[in-house]
Amino acid sequence: MLNFTFEKFTNLKLVSFIFFFSLNSVLAQDKVTISGKISEAKNGEGMIGVNLYLKELQIGVSTNVYGFYSITAPKGIYTLFITYVGYKSIAKNVELIDNKTLNFELEEEGKLLDEVVIKGEREDDNIKNIEMSVNKVEMKTIKKMPALLGEVDVIRSIQFLPGVSSVGEGSSGFNVRGGAIDQNLVLLDEAPVYNSSHLFGFFSVFNPDVVKDVKLIKGGIPSSYGGRISSILDVRMKEGNSKKPEFSGGLGTIFSRFAYERPYLKEKGSFIVALRRSYIDILAKPFLNNDLKNSRFYFYDFTAKTNYKINDKNTVFLSGYFGRDVFGADFGFNWGNSTTSFRWNHVFNNKLFLNTTVFYSNYDYSLDSDLKDENNQDSFEWKSNILNYSIKPDFNYYINAKNTLSFGGQVIYYTFNPGQATAVSGGQSRSIGLDSKYAVESALYIGNEQKVSSNLTLNYGLRYSFYTYLGPGTVYTFDENTSPGDRKEVLSAEKATKGEGIKTYGNLEPRLALNIGVNASTSIKIGYNRLAQYIHLLSNTVASSPLDVWTPSSNNIKPQISDQIAFGLFKNFSDNMYESSVEVYFKTLKNQIDYIRNADLLLNPAVEGDLMFGIGRAYGAEFFIKKNKGKLNGWVSYTLARTERKVDGLNNNNWFVSRIDKIHNLSVVGIFDISKKWSFGSTMSFATGTPASFPTNKFVWQGIALPQNYTDERNTYRIPNSHRLDLSATRKNKHALFKKGESEWVFSIYNVYNRKNPFSVYVRQNPDDPSKTEAVKYSVFASIIPAVTYNFKF
Amino acid sequence: MKKVFLLILVSVSFLACEQVIDLEVKDGVSQLVVDAWLTDEQKEQSIKLTLSQPYFEEADPQPALGAQVIVYNEDSTAHVFTDIDNDGIYTYTPKNNEYLKQDERTALYIKYENEEYYSLSELKRVPKIDSIGYEVFSFPITPPNGGPKDGFLAQFYANDIVGDGDTYMIRSYKNDTLRFAPNDITLAYDAGFSAGSKSDGLLFILPIRQSINQTLFLDKDKLKVELFSIPVEAYYYLFQLKQESSNGGIFATPLSNIPTNIINLNGQSTKKAIGAFFVSKVSTFETVIDKSLAKPKQ
Repeated sequence: MLNFTFEKFTNLKLVSFIFFFSLNSVLAQDKVTISGKISEAKNGEGMIGVNLYLKELQIGVSTNVYGFYSITAPKGIYTLFITYVGYKSIAKNVELIDNKTLNFELEEEGKLLDEVVIKGEREDDNIKNIEMSVNKVEMKTIKKMPALLGEVDVIRSIQFLPGVSSVGEGSSGFNVRGGAIDQNLVLLDEAPVYNSSHLFGFFSVFNPDVVKDVKLIKGGIPSSYGGRISSILDVRMKEGNSKKPEFSGGLGTIFSRFAYERPYLKEKGSFIVALRRSYIDILAKPFLNNDLKNSRFYFYDFTAKTNYKINDKNTVFLSGYFGRDVFGADFGFNWGNSTTSFRWNHVFNNKLFLNTTVFYSNYDYSLDSDLKDENNQDSFEWKSNILNYSIKPDFNYYINAKNTLSFGGQVIYYTFNPGQATAVSGGQSRSIGLDSKYAVESALYIGNEQKVSSNLTLNYGLRYSFYTYLGPGTVYTFDENTSPGDRKEVLSAEKATKGEGIKTYGNLEPRLALNIGVNASTSIKIGYNRLAQYIHLLSNTVASSPLDVWTPSSNNIKPQISDQIAFGLFKNFSDNMYESSVEVYFKTLKNQIDYIRNADLLLNPAVEGDLMFGIGRAYGAEFFIKKNKGKLNGWVSYTLARTERKVDGLNNNNWFVSRIDKIHNLSVVGIFDISKKWSFGSTMSFATGTPASFPTNKFVWQGIALPQNYTDERNTYRIPNSHRLDLSATRKNKHALFKKGESEWVFSIYNVYNRKNPFSVYVRQNPDDPSKTEAVKYSVFASIIPAVTYNFKF
Repeated sequence: MKKVFLLILVSVSFLACEQVIDLEVKDGVSQLVVDAWLTDEQKEQSIKLTLSQPYFEEADPQPALGAQVIVYNEDSTAHVFTDIDNDGIYTYTPKNNEYLKQDERTALYIKYENEEYYSLSELKRVPKIDSIGYEVFSFPITPPNGGPKDGFLAQFYANDIVGDGDTYMIRSYKNDTLRFAPNDITLAYDAGFSAGSKSDGLLFILPIRQSINQTLFLDKDKLKVELFSIPVEAYYYLFQLKQESSNGGIFATPLSNIPTNIINLNGQSTKKAIGAFFVSKVSTFETVIDKSLAKPKQ
């Protein structure tokens, strides 16, 4: 009996192996493979997602993120079509006799019509592609959308997409399908960016002049990604013009920008360097008097990337980002990210492609009292950072025309420094040092994209993530009998030695996506994913602040886990002029972090005693329709959503709507290219007000009126709805400076009808009489904000 | 910390705005409010009992009348507080040194409308204030709070007592007017702001020493500083009181009820009291600003 079962099991394994990887004998006959790289003719940039199609066999592939492709087919003569919206298609007869490498360059069509594409892909790619819950926005589009203060911003732009919102204008980060901001993995050339904002959230850290491609994955997340439970924002940088030197830049209201890119070593390599700096402080300098002369107020970022093609099989890339915000007058406060990633593309043969990434990423801040006076009797200095190193090999194996296998792994080594401070008072100095914390997160994954038949495509995969919280460090245990909502007292604090595994966790993360083609213009897609997250941003404020500290999973903090299932219907109309989709999703979240009242999250060694843990759920429907062709382009996106939490000790242990919940969220984006000279952009948005908690009663204690909620329930009210219209106009000039190159003026108006959209509504004592009370509506942007930007390129 | 943010935000948020609006909220059930902060000073002590009211009600709170209010020492010596004026303010004047004792716990007992409530607090040690100093100071612009542009910036000098976990409250009087809006209350954990600051035994840190300047002082101004020892639960109570009092903007924290230490003896009763009972020792220092003694501008 046992044997029989075993046999059945092994048979099953075999069957599934065959099914999964389709290594049928049929495919073993005389087949050859062509592979190569597709790049842009203008600047040599590798192109992502270009479609290649063998007409006679009706099979096709698309290029990976490095522009690499591989097609395997029986020997013969075929017509190869290479298409990418906005670029001239290539149709070429290819004779497949033996394996060979064919590289292609695509030329931009350069016509007015084609500059307004929203995504550069095969026109019906949204129907045929396995991807669901994925949004791509081309930089061309982002640059034409009206921007706050005229500063083109990736993170603000993606908030017009379905399922994406923020807790309020001017807040840092973004929320995807009911997830917190730390649940988005923001990648810049594969290195994570821990704080994606300048100036507390007004601007994102990505310099639009260097961004090549932006992709947001909200669901059906492939097994190659992991580490955060809500979404992946994959930002890829330009490689630098490999054809000719190019200067570009701009003068805006906030930033001035400058970028230089060029080929080197006979076009084997190229690089791009780009700098942005805010300059309001420079303009203000002459107007500041003595006491303010030393005030500092600026932010900048420096982005650089180079690639070098060693030979046909090996290319290396090195990219870096260094950004910093600096403020100070009688104190100093600065923060910033830096990332460096080194990548090696290796083509083993025309079926097997490897990219290995090694990256370093650091986010740090420091805060100090005025240290100008070196003999200060009283001073304060405080530093904190999160630092990680990682290696990440990713393989693409183009098994045959029907199967593309991806597999690989990742190891990340984290160092968390929650805070090191020195305080000097009356000449006496004290050091406040919290122990650094260490952790290793690793993962192995495998996934296969399989075209089962002409109308069924599957992508299935499995990721195993493994995590260890490492010594040295202090291992705290807390009194778990504390009533929920109160501070847990430390029961023991034991020292762990260096390298000791304090706590380990492992999670199997299955991923599945399915595309059922209904007809040429309609498909149904289903996606499921489980994701695990081992590091957490401790933040108890409405919007995250630069001081918030990342903390690892430990013996007290379990990894966050989410399961999401999504269904989607995709349909195109009028010969792909319009594409539309409806998606519904349901998501459960485990081990969500909340905070006790009075939680002390900074410089607190026993911070884990101030945390509470609960569960969450989020569900919604997203409607999306986009016009891809013609002089008028754009999209309408509507999201109906709900996100809730349940935490012992909060809201009488009942479910309550999360602080980021927005029931309705509508965006309309329109871009109108009226002539070669002029184009216009407009965005309109409407969103339900976020939940708020208000007191039912007041009581007066020592002459001060204090709020009291008799029911002790959270988020039972909503602040007023927000809506806004923004406009922009772009005027292209024939020449830039000195009659060379090209240039443009961008005029924008943010908040056209001057609405004071609420960020929050809160209650307070009357400033003149603390025994009286009032409610206050707070708006971050409470006026029309016009701006002008000048961009040039030569 | 919040102050740093505020400072930066003010400079950044030239576009932001705050508007007082009307807000409809549901009313809750009225509860007994205990406002009892006693000191060991040999002067009249008072405990105020009121009833909580709808949040936006303009009227003064209703007094809770007819209560029995008794304070007990650890050795059960009773001190009865009486409401002579029938206004909900129950008073008692200590007659000798038998009143509050350092490092001892004190109990408060209240009987109101057939419910019995109690609370405990401990009288902690307090350091003495050594001196007050001041220097000539000018703001670059006239401060928006109405204070003078040029004047004297004062600080008091006192050292935290050696030993972890002393908590204090600092407040000040300018020309005999007490400043006691939530923003004016300064809390100290040892010589620093919070438990994590590891500042045991130090001179109070500079921002605490200078917290007594709501506005700059002028020549001949009278300045009085009071340093209260408070039990650690009072530190957290006042900390949250400050937080819930100015909890708006981008970095607001979720609204939560300020926990009370007033407990109904009958755990089953639905009637709960709110407010707090604390006892404190107080150090004071008083001076009159004399411009000839001011430290010159740096």
